[in-house]
Amino acid sequence: MATIAERRRIARLVHRFGFGPRPGEFSTLLAGGFDQAAEKYLNAPLSDTFADFQGEPKVSDVGKRPAPNSANIVAYATEKRAQLTSLSFWWLDRMVLSEHSLRERMTWFWHGHWATSYQKVDDALPIYLQNQTLRRNALGNFTQMSREMVNDAALIFWLDGQTNTVKAPNENLSRELMELFTLGVNRYSEDDVKETAKALTGYKVDKSSGKVTFYPKQHFTGSIRVLGTQGAFDANSLSDFLVARSDCALFITERLWYRFISSMNPLSDLSLTSSFASRDISALVKAIGRHPALGNPDNSMVKSPIDWLISSARALSITPSQFSNPNLIRNYLDLLGQRPFFPPNVGGWPADQAWLSTSSAQYRIQFATLLVKEGDLTPISSLAQNKRIDALADWLGIVEWSSRTRMALNGATRDPARLTLLALCSPEYVVSA
Amino acid sequence: MDTITRRQFLKATGAGALGAAAMSLSIEEIANAAITRPLPLGTPILVVVTLYGGNDGLNTVVPVNDSIYQSLRPGIAYKPEDVLPLGENLYLNGSMSGVHSLWNKNQVAIVRGVGYPNSDRSHFSSMAIWQSGILGAAKTGWLGRWVESQPEDPLLAISLGSVLPPLLAGNKRSGSVLPLGGLKVPNGSLASDCMKLGIESRNDNLLQTMAARSMRNLFAVSSDITPILKAPAPAAPDLPTAIGGNAGGDTNLSQQLDIVAKLVTAGAPTRVWSVSLGGFDTHADEKGAQSILLGVVSQGISKFMSQMRASNRSKDVVVLVYSEFGRRVRGNASDGTDHGTSGPVFLLGEKVKGGFYGEQPSLTNLKNDDLAVTTDFRDIYASVLEKVLSTPAEKILGNWKGRTPLFN
Repeated sequence: MATIAERRRIARLVHRFGFGPRPGEFSTLLAGGFDQAAEKYLNAPLSDTFADFQGEPKVSDVGKRPAPNSANIVAYATEKRAQLTSLSFWWLDRMVLSEHSLRERMTWFWHGHWATSYQKVDDALPIYLQNQTLRRNALGNFTQMSREMVNDAALIFWLDGQTNTVKAPNENLSRELMELFTLGVNRYSEDDVKETAKALTGYKVDKSSGKVTFYPKQHFTGSIRVLGTQGAFDANSLSDFLVARSDCALFITERLWYRFISSMNPLSDLSLTSSFASRDISALVKAIGRHPALGNPDNSMVKSPIDWLISSARALSITPSQFSNPNLIRNYLDLLGQRPFFPPNVGGWPADQAWLSTSSAQYRIQFATLLVKEGDLTPISSLAQNKRIDALADWLGIVEWSSRTRMALNGATRDPARLTLLALCSPEYVVSA
Repeated sequence: MDTITRRQFLKATGAGALGAAAMSLSIEEIANAAITRPLPLGTPILVVVTLYGGNDGLNTVVPVNDSIYQSLRPGIAYKPEDVLPLGENLYLNGSMSGVHSLWNKNQVAIVRGVGYPNSDRSHFSSMAIWQSGILGAAKTGWLGRWVESQPEDPLLAISLGSVLPPLLAGNKRSGSVLPLGGLKVPNGSLASDCMKLGIESRNDNLLQTMAARSMRNLFAVSSDITPILKAPAPAAPDLPTAIGGNAGGDTNLSQQLDIVAKLVTAGAPTRVWSVSLGGFDTHADEKGAQSILLGVVSQGISKFMSQMRASNRSKDVVVLVYSEFGRRVRGNASDGTDHGTSGPVFLLGEKVKGGFYGEQPSLTNLKNDDLAVTTDFRDIYASVLEKVLSTPAEKILGNWKGRTPLFN
């Protein structure tokens, strides 16, 4: 039998680097040991048979918004809603169905990193194109990812890049590029923000098609001074320049640490940054996944609403788009405060304590009530009552039950739905311990 | 960063606010603690209104006759006929008529040029500083630390919305959050089963302790609050209809304030409320957008104050309105403004000594194109802690000497 320490490391691997185990998967991984589990979880091929099987979302260029009260406005609005729904469930399905969930996990991580909201972009196609860029580069080279992102229509529009001109630069994109995307706060000066804004001038977005055009006449062609270096920059060369700085290696390592190891205990091992020397994301992710800190009991994390929903759906064999009323999934994610493509702001979603409010407790109970109604509970309903509590821990990938939760579960062993509901709402499941 | 809204904008680091393990309580103890104990009349209540995104202070308290103001932001400067006189050659944004009429009754304090040293123009760093009340990395909010300085009570400080703002985060204990729809708590056997999950276990790590606590608080808070939420909002009888007409539709801020009004009226033992409105990050097409938002703030607050008058709590309530920074003096080419430094802070209520505080930052003496900070935000917090929350400021802000004499 695996030790608690081994169970913890594997459970964290599966919940943080993936989206939680499928039925039976956790027991198999435990039998093979951590190294074998890490080998599987930290390597993700570009394609994923299960996730790719469902094809593409139905999104297309819807053109410009028709005039208010015009004949086409209703059809236009209906089509947009349908596209957003299709895109949202397409991604939720991918997270649930993926065989090698690291790629979807990393795409999700990068979505929170380059956090762009549909709220302002208001067209599904550019958001989808950005999502594909993030997925394609999710475990690739960060220099390439950053270059593609500074040319990304949704991101530029989201951060007002299209209004940034020679005449009076708009600093929104330049600031966030340094603060939130490449270097980290206070690793540049206010003058650097003003200067880099000039490098990002001249990019125009055709929003509905997601096309970005560069207008040399609106671009600042002079020399600028950025972080002590003088030169002429455009978006690409600026991106390369920022990504090449050692602060970028530190920052991306910090961000991955924050989401995969601990948001409370800051990066403690600076040598990890060396794994990012060539800006190879996959190498850094592997180093973090195999780092001893993953096994440190202090580094627990709260499952965000998406983590919680997707891991529950994987265990219960629920495909989000096939849910009897998919709108309920969207509504509960909304109430819990985390809907894909709707990050609260350019800084992405919060972590840990923010998800432990009384109202999240309330919505989690209601949401779990729905999930257990439609989920496949045979992993425990097929067992004798006295075997169910331990089987529940293995099914869901839980390290160990506390005496408190055991007591609560003990009263419900006759009822697999109630048992599962309580497990999904237990502190042991809500927290990746 | 355009669509910052209420429950949002939680700086990742700000929300990871945790410290030592919490003390262990039984369900019975929590249930007892949550029994309704009406707040005695005369107990001060603080309502904090956070404006997310960085409100443009110069177009809120407007130096409309200043030629530098007019020349530096031609596309977005107001004309004298658009704004409401405050005195000292300053004018209030024309959409804030509700606040203006409270100003004329001496119930509004406007603290000018508020900020902190070495302004950080990052939304996140700046909001983290404003919400923590500490310069540099802090894991707790100033009101979260206040919660911890008080006897444990999940009803003591409540934020409207489903995500806890760093403002109310403490090391061991934090404020509660209340979603707009109120809590719908399970009943019957599901309730008793779920309540079992709220018991603390010795094996719990810190986050599990907090997860269990959130489950316990769900039942404790809801039994007190649910019946109150079902009651209609208190009337605002003395409100002029022009303000009460709710032009611009019911907003989320007004919903939040309506719930606060209901609960205050019902006597909830809550001393601190947190509500918020987003959208102030006006890098483009600022004028119309900001004026709509300020109108929402002004209408919401004046309606709330009227409700308080009707329920005898108007002498107790103080409303504090702030944003993480003001904006650049010079407009940008998109008819917006970029991130700046200081801005005005509003305090409203009958306890408040109305008028101006702090020096208006000079437009002839800009620092790096930005407004000077003439009042440190901690001066205001310190005075609020002492005069509204009756708590020594040292306990919450450390050895901070500055005060603003805002209260009667």
